[in-house]
Amino acid sequence: MTLLHRRQFLRRLGLSASLLPFVGGLPGLGAPAASGGRQRMIFVFTPNGIVPPDFWPDATGTDLPFKRILKPLEPFKSRTLTIQGLCNRVRGDGDGHMRGMSCLLTGIELFPGNIQGGSDTPAGWASGISIDQELRNFLQSREETRTRFGSLELGVAVPNRADPWTRWVYGGPNQPVAPLDDPYLVFEKLYGRMKDQESLGSILDDVHDDLKRVSATLGAEDRNRLEEHATLVREMEVELKTAREQKLTHPEPVLEPGAGTENDDMPRVTAMQSDLLVNAMANDMARVASIQVTNSVGQARMRWLGIDEGHHSLSHDPDLNAVSQEKLVKINVWFCEQIAALARRLESTPEPGGSGSMLDHTTILWTNELGKGNSHTHENIPFVLIGGGLGFQMGRSLQMELTPHNRLWLSVAHAFGHDIKTFGNARLCEAGPLALA
Amino acid sequence: MSRLFFTGLVLALVHSAGWAAPSGEQIYRRLCVECHGERGEGVAGKYDETLHGERSVEALARLIDRTMPEDKPELCDSEESQAVARYIFDAFYSPAARARNHPARVELVRLTNRQYRESIADLFAGFLSPLPLAAPGGLRATYHQSKGMNKKDKEVLARTDASVNFDLWTNSPAEGITADQFSIAWSGSLIAPHTGVYELRLRTPNGARLYINEELRAGDSNRRDDSDARRAPALIDLWVSSGGEMREATARLFLLGGRTYPLRLDYFKFKEKTASLQFEWRPPHGVWSVPGARDLSPDPSHGIIAIPTTFPADDGSLGYERGTTVSKGWHEATTRAALEVADAVVSRLDGLAGVRARDTNRTARLQEFAATVAARAFRRPLTDDLRQRFINDLFVTNLPPETSVKRALLLVLKSPRFLYPDLGEPADDSGVAARLALVLWDSLPDVALREAADRGALRSPEQVREQARRMIAAPQARAKLQGFFEHWLSVEEADDVSKDEKTFPGFDAALRADLRYSLELLVEQVVWSEASDYRELLLADYVPVNARLAKFYGVEAPDGDGFLKVRFDPGQRAGIFTHPFLLSTFAYHRSSSPIHRGVFLTRNVLGRFLKPPPMAIEFMDDRFDPSLTMREKVTELTRKEACMGCHSTINPLGFSLENFDAVGRFRTTDNAKPVDAQSEYLTADGERVMLRGARDLATHAAGSADARRGFVRQLFQHTVKQAPAAYGPDTLNTLDREFLSSGCHIRNLVMEIAAVASLNGLSTTPPTAP
Repeated sequence: MTLLHRRQFLRRLGLSASLLPFVGGLPGLGAPAASGGRQRMIFVFTPNGIVPPDFWPDATGTDLPFKRILKPLEPFKSRTLTIQGLCNRVRGDGDGHMRGMSCLLTGIELFPGNIQGGSDTPAGWASGISIDQELRNFLQSREETRTRFGSLELGVAVPNRADPWTRWVYGGPNQPVAPLDDPYLVFEKLYGRMKDQESLGSILDDVHDDLKRVSATLGAEDRNRLEEHATLVREMEVELKTAREQKLTHPEPVLEPGAGTENDDMPRVTAMQSDLLVNAMANDMARVASIQVTNSVGQARMRWLGIDEGHHSLSHDPDLNAVSQEKLVKINVWFCEQIAALARRLESTPEPGGSGSMLDHTTILWTNELGKGNSHTHENIPFVLIGGGLGFQMGRSLQMELTPHNRLWLSVAHAFGHDIKTFGNARLCEAGPLALA
Repeated sequence: MSRLFFTGLVLALVHSAGWAAPSGEQIYRRLCVECHGERGEGVAGKYDETLHGERSVEALARLIDRTMPEDKPELCDSEESQAVARYIFDAFYSPAARARNHPARVELVRLTNRQYRESIADLFAGFLSPLPLAAPGGLRATYHQSKGMNKKDKEVLARTDASVNFDLWTNSPAEGITADQFSIAWSGSLIAPHTGVYELRLRTPNGARLYINEELRAGDSNRRDDSDARRAPALIDLWVSSGGEMREATARLFLLGGRTYPLRLDYFKFKEKTASLQFEWRPPHGVWSVPGARDLSPDPSHGIIAIPTTFPADDGSLGYERGTTVSKGWHEATTRAALEVADAVVSRLDGLAGVRARDTNRTARLQEFAATVAARAFRRPLTDDLRQRFINDLFVTNLPPETSVKRALLLVLKSPRFLYPDLGEPADDSGVAARLALVLWDSLPDVALREAADRGALRSPEQVREQARRMIAAPQARAKLQGFFEHWLSVEEADDVSKDEKTFPGFDAALRADLRYSLELLVEQVVWSEASDYRELLLADYVPVNARLAKFYGVEAPDGDGFLKVRFDPGQRAGIFTHPFLLSTFAYHRSSSPIHRGVFLTRNVLGRFLKPPPMAIEFMDDRFDPSLTMREKVTELTRKEACMGCHSTINPLGFSLENFDAVGRFRTTDNAKPVDAQSEYLTADGERVMLRGARDLATHAAGSADARRGFVRQLFQHTVKQAPAAYGPDTLNTLDREFLSSGCHIRNLVMEIAAVASLNGLSTTPPTAP
């Protein structure tokens, strides 16, 4: 094999998963846990309320037909739980959208602040931690459930301003966590160093060759300096090769290039984020995650569905506007399709080191900041759970009498073995966790 | 701080039998060779330092007669001492002999760390449309009445604000604006005085966002709270006030000195009780303070790629930084830096390459961009072979073009063609352009230089001088010269100077920062004045001071906030060496240090050569009779013959500044005795000079040929980063003659140095065809 061939070979393939000692630790390379008992949870947010008649099953019980919006989840019906009747009962400062968003995972009031919505009083950030971060901290506090990141916060087309409409994850009071909505940045976060090493691996041989060519033109005294330099390049190449044996349980996904973070890229980005998330979880980099699709008051224009209007504007249209309602249904069907696609990805990935598929050990929770867009109601907020691992009895539709959603977060925490008595506003937790098992 | 070095030239004794013919060489062989070696190289265990220096034959002869052979100076009478001095002077001691014995050559060097960073910054800045230099003067501000979610409902006032530091309590910021809800937007540039890490801080109970060194985007306006347009990432985001408390956030940013960075600060109040905002910074070598009109500009700037990678320090063993060390640490640092640069470039690729995401020929244009980067980084047009290997080969695969660009950048930035700026190609126009840019800017040729090289218009000294005249006005040249003066004045070593608080109340970090700025200002005013006269640095009878300095040093405070020239009594102070920054740097915690001051003056100012001290002796104040003055203590400590070899030079210079205490205040007594600042100083040529104080010292230095030549040599070394003799044995003398005849014009000297270094080898080697 000539040098040139070898170089071209390296350039084409890159040196995958190679390690540079000075760059530092690799992402979760460890073997999967011996026991198959992993529990995972993925919180998914879509905005602006739903269209209730086309969303909620007509009755409670098992094996009920799904309405139009939930139809895409049909293949997962036996593992889907819908809970109607949950309400965001948190009051205080902030307009309906702000409280809908920032109190959704936190279950606690917003601080007074300077962000003024279209109505109500101005407000600031949530005054408490969100449930996903609560779970993350719990899992990270224990050796057997600790992972590299603990949690991943992803987004799709989230505007890059930070305010109570664009943040639903909170590390604590006044600590909003920004979602990453650029899949390439997510990739870098997960595998960036390896990508760097791959890039380096592909050019070091050329660098060495170049040093040789240049040093051949120099006098003896000067040549020494470049010889030293060339030796250092070779050493780095060897270090890269030595580390190349280490492999991920699941190799990193290949991302198609050129997806932006703008409106029209939403379908591609949603798929990429799902791929990255399932891959990261397969490699056990995190057990908790969230995907925030746009934001509260989000104005996605789903031109790929033939809808040119902004989502939030449509959501204000009255029930009697059949055209708008039809568009809102389509929008929510699209959201549901993305949820189903995520479930499919999990289902088609065998649980690493365990039994069944990843979906058996992962619960997706799909929710919204409002029950309905044109009324801005915080009652009957959609909560749809798909998957397994939490010991909840799936494959059914539940109906509750206007129940604070804080109680659902208690149930989720308890399902992870985290026996907290209250979460968020304690007054809203008085009746304890929901019985979902 | 309280370590005292003293130095001596010690010649050892050799016993010998009888007298031979009294030629210098024979005497040397008989009496000196056993300790000093055949050619003065030294003998391990006896006297292992090389015999070289800058004394005249006469001074050398006097020293030998007085001290040599060691302990038996009587073995060598004055005539014999004269003969042996003449012999060693010609054979190996003098600079001329050394140059003859070890002819200097232009060494292959890599970029210094500064050159690396500056080159990267300019390499990519060159792809953006040029903007006029942002001038100091504060920030552009617009004041708006808000209405609910519309933060910029009505623009009421536009003006320039010198700083952003207000507390309106419950009041409105301007007539026509209600106090309950309003917004203010500041924009312009941040002027970075030094290279290093800047800390930035916002404090407000309201909403504020700070952007620095980011190209702003469509959404970077606070018109509507809920606008979804893309924004640049804010360096500090305190937009949401929450809980009604004062909030504070700090960020760190690595910036290159002498450049300006785009800055935007958005602020709004919405029904919070009070309105206030403080924008503060801590620049390198500075203290937390409010950036003012001198640090801010209302003019726009482009973002700059400033690489924060930590590099191992460059070799400074010869008294100037040069790129001679190729270590593993450096290799790894350049690798990390290349990755950082590649990422930074790819993240703003479309803007730099002038393409759009949807362009059909985007890949081809990105490939062209990468080729342009390579040619500029290599400082010459790409040959077909290089174009193939560095660019085309990386674009043939199915990789996304961003990945190809990234890999091409890595390959280019790791290539010796970038890292070693002068690879000894036959000197041609591109080579001259590359050297000019390095000498004057520590950077890459700009578009005008590249075009001149392409035209073949860099071959004559006149053409090169014309370019140099243009280039010296650029901010990069200012930054580089500022670096030289920091080095020459040892300013960079002075960061952690502190003084006894009880003895010198008020001498704190803020005062030190003011002093440093005052010295920089003084140097800048002289260097960039029309005369640019080196002697004015030594003789100036003024110091720029602000109110704080005026108060501490007991002079009349200037009107206004800034720094203004204040004239001191010319009998007391003269030139930068009586600037309190230097006087306090070269001093102990509580007392002056004639030795530190003397060593600094000997080496840096008077251009004389001092060997490292043969042993280090700590200056322990409590060992002395407490009634002694500092001068008396130093005299006692360095009394020994072995010390006096160097201290006979160091001490008189240091004593001449004894009228200044540890913080550089003028005094007439020390330890309750009158200060004696008078002493006799012996020049390198053996001339005796009576110094009665600072003014005499300054007058001597300003007229001293040694001092002037030392300045020329140090400036050459700092700018070229090679030995002057490598450019011909007469290089320094020629430059010195021109310097003198130009009225010691500093900028002129820099340009002459640039011409000499750039054209080296050009007359003897015909230029190659492009």
